[in-house]
Amino acid sequence: MLLLQNARIASENSPVLLEGDVLIVEGKIQDIGSNLTIPESARVIDARGRILMPAMFDAHVHFRAPGFENKETITTGSEAAINGGITGVVMMPNTRPALDSATAVATVLENAKDRSRIPVYTSGCVTKNREGKELAEIEGMRELGVKMLTDDGDTTGDPAVLLRAMQYATEFGMFFASHCEVPELAGPRALNEGVMSYRLGIKGSPACAEEIIIDRDIRLARAAGAHVHIQHVSSKLGMETIRWWKSRGDVKVTAEVAPHHLLFTDEHIGDYDTNYKMNPPLRTQADCDALLEGLIEGVFDLIATDHAPHTPFEKAQDFISAPNGITGLDTALVSLYHFFVEPGKFGWDLVVKRYSAEPRRLMGLPVAAIEVGQQANCVLFDTEAETTFTKEFMKSKSQNTPFIDQTLKGRVDLVILGTEILLER
Amino acid sequence: MARKDLLDIASLHREEIEFLLDQSTSFKKLFTRSVKKIPALEGKSVLMLFYEASTRTHSSFEVAAKRLSAEVTNFNVDHSSITKGESVRETIETLQAMRTDYIVVRHSHSGLPGMIARQTTASVINAGDGAHEHPTQALLDAFTIKEKFPDPRGKKVLIIGDILHSRVARSTSTLLQKLGVEVAYLGPGSLVPKYVPASIPRFTDYEAAMAWAPDVVYLLRVQMERQDVQFFPSVREYHRVYGITNTRLAEISDRGLYIMHPGPVNRGVELCDAVMDYERSLITNQVENGISVRMAVLDWLTPGGEFPKQEAYAAQQRAGSPVTMP
Repeated sequence: MLLLQNARIASENSPVLLEGDVLIVEGKIQDIGSNLTIPESARVIDARGRILMPAMFDAHVHFRAPGFENKETITTGSEAAINGGITGVVMMPNTRPALDSATAVATVLENAKDRSRIPVYTSGCVTKNREGKELAEIEGMRELGVKMLTDDGDTTGDPAVLLRAMQYATEFGMFFASHCEVPELAGPRALNEGVMSYRLGIKGSPACAEEIIIDRDIRLARAAGAHVHIQHVSSKLGMETIRWWKSRGDVKVTAEVAPHHLLFTDEHIGDYDTNYKMNPPLRTQADCDALLEGLIEGVFDLIATDHAPHTPFEKAQDFISAPNGITGLDTALVSLYHFFVEPGKFGWDLVVKRYSAEPRRLMGLPVAAIEVGQQANCVLFDTEAETTFTKEFMKSKSQNTPFIDQTLKGRVDLVILGTEILLER
Repeated sequence: MARKDLLDIASLHREEIEFLLDQSTSFKKLFTRSVKKIPALEGKSVLMLFYEASTRTHSSFEVAAKRLSAEVTNFNVDHSSITKGESVRETIETLQAMRTDYIVVRHSHSGLPGMIARQTTASVINAGDGAHEHPTQALLDAFTIKEKFPDPRGKKVLIIGDILHSRVARSTSTLLQKLGVEVAYLGPGSLVPKYVPASIPRFTDYEAAMAWAPDVVYLLRVQMERQDVQFFPSVREYHRVYGITNTRLAEISDRGLYIMHPGPVNRGVELCDAVMDYERSLITNQVENGISVRMAVLDWLTPGGEFPKQEAYAAQQRAGSPVTMP
């Protein structure tokens, strides 16, 4: 039994924070109100005006297991999530072996049971070994609860293969998540084509490589009557393409944006800083501005980090050799507060809607609202405190993020899931 | 100001450039003496680390180092593993353990010489990294131009060819601009990107570029081997549209323009045979000047001292940047 006093409660429905106490009994929210009576055996925590919000859910993470446990494991990845106020994740299937069969999915889910304190979901591959050729055995994965199909890390190159997969899997109630990039245009380097690629002397990937596949995959979904979810949009015209299709209303399309694409531009790469190397690449300020506009407007249904850990050794290579990816679970919520909520660009309601409620809806899960009768699944966030993202603070096995050793406003103080306090600072 | 490394032109100050060019003049005077060797780097070691094949730049550096009495060692790069970043990192540790005084490095990965510089006490000289920079080429180009135009301010250099993949175009244009020279680019639309710096006029039409009235026409080598997807239909068409044909050479000669090329030339592509015998072709001057310029660079750099680790450098880079963003 836990009584949280003097909290300011956030919800997806209103920017106004509700002041009050929350009583949690046996993992459920039993009462919300002002000056609740303190039950005899309750533990009392004075929130002192800190924000109490539904815990986040990240629909795009790379936990690297099996195959790349030197970068991340289910344990370290899920602890990084908890550290950042996230109580559920969807793994991408680009592990080794790839999660392209019921056997592979079953192994991951079995491991997650013992090794994670939060629910870990996984997506499955569209094609065998993500090669874009033969269809993966989709229905077998569905039986184990897989809902999202994706060859993330790569685009399913052959549109005929993707169309068939969509026609096939939609009948099972599954949906498709698309990493959008024409491989022939994008090339191997995660760098935006433009002033920076000229200055650094590295072949760039033009934004049209992304725009084309966004449009292609939505058209394929429309033709197949499928639901397509566009992953980690990085370009202005990519956002506008999704906006246009959504305005037509004749295809089921959802989309996500990652914090790093809202925050950084290719200029930040500076003198070949590999912490800013990820795919899709960072683009220009105009793209950042458009993505923020799209998020506020609702073109993007959700925020997802694309948490992509790599070892310090790998990232300490030269820019061309270093792998693509940026971690995000430890830092996402604090960075959203520091750069957007605190300066008034958007409110807590947007954070809750886009990073807690909508990702759960996408996955067909119950939404974690702070309402009487709901399971306790919440985060207490201190807007007055700061977080310094030291190596010791991060729970991810990798620290390939430009936030390393930086101090931002805001701190995750408490993460509650059901009867358990997962984190207390 | 003492420098440990020469990695790029972008970070060089005008005074440093002028100092190097003056020094090059002094070194060049040695070439007419019967004994061309001086003891400036006696007892010092120079390691040649070439991950990309090179004949001219490699031997130019080697001659320059030997004329300064340095010991020159060739590090035999295992070409089978050069694309693996891991092997480069291990090589760096090996290099540091060898305690050589200078490392001359060429690599297809942009930014890699900087990485080596930050992890060794040796002075690192970038002899070309990807499509990023080739600073000694830029210095020898500027030196060659200054021999013809002692005050090059306001002179115009038209660089023709594959700008997209060219480190020479980047370094040489940056350096010339620092000396007050105007630079323009000409080439196929697929090889002269629209996002080149705004200070460099961009032409895709030969006549329009000549109307800009250049003093020097600088031809870049057409690098067929760097083209994963075709950038132009054929070398024949390239020569006809962007090359110095016999007809164009006649016009260039009438106007008294100089022609430069970093070599090696592709006859019948960038230029016709007659260009090689053209009286105002500076192509062999460039080769000759490469030696004195590289002597000046080796003589100028100061090896040793503390080097910041790669991680510390990255942290320092970030200190002022992203998280203090608007």
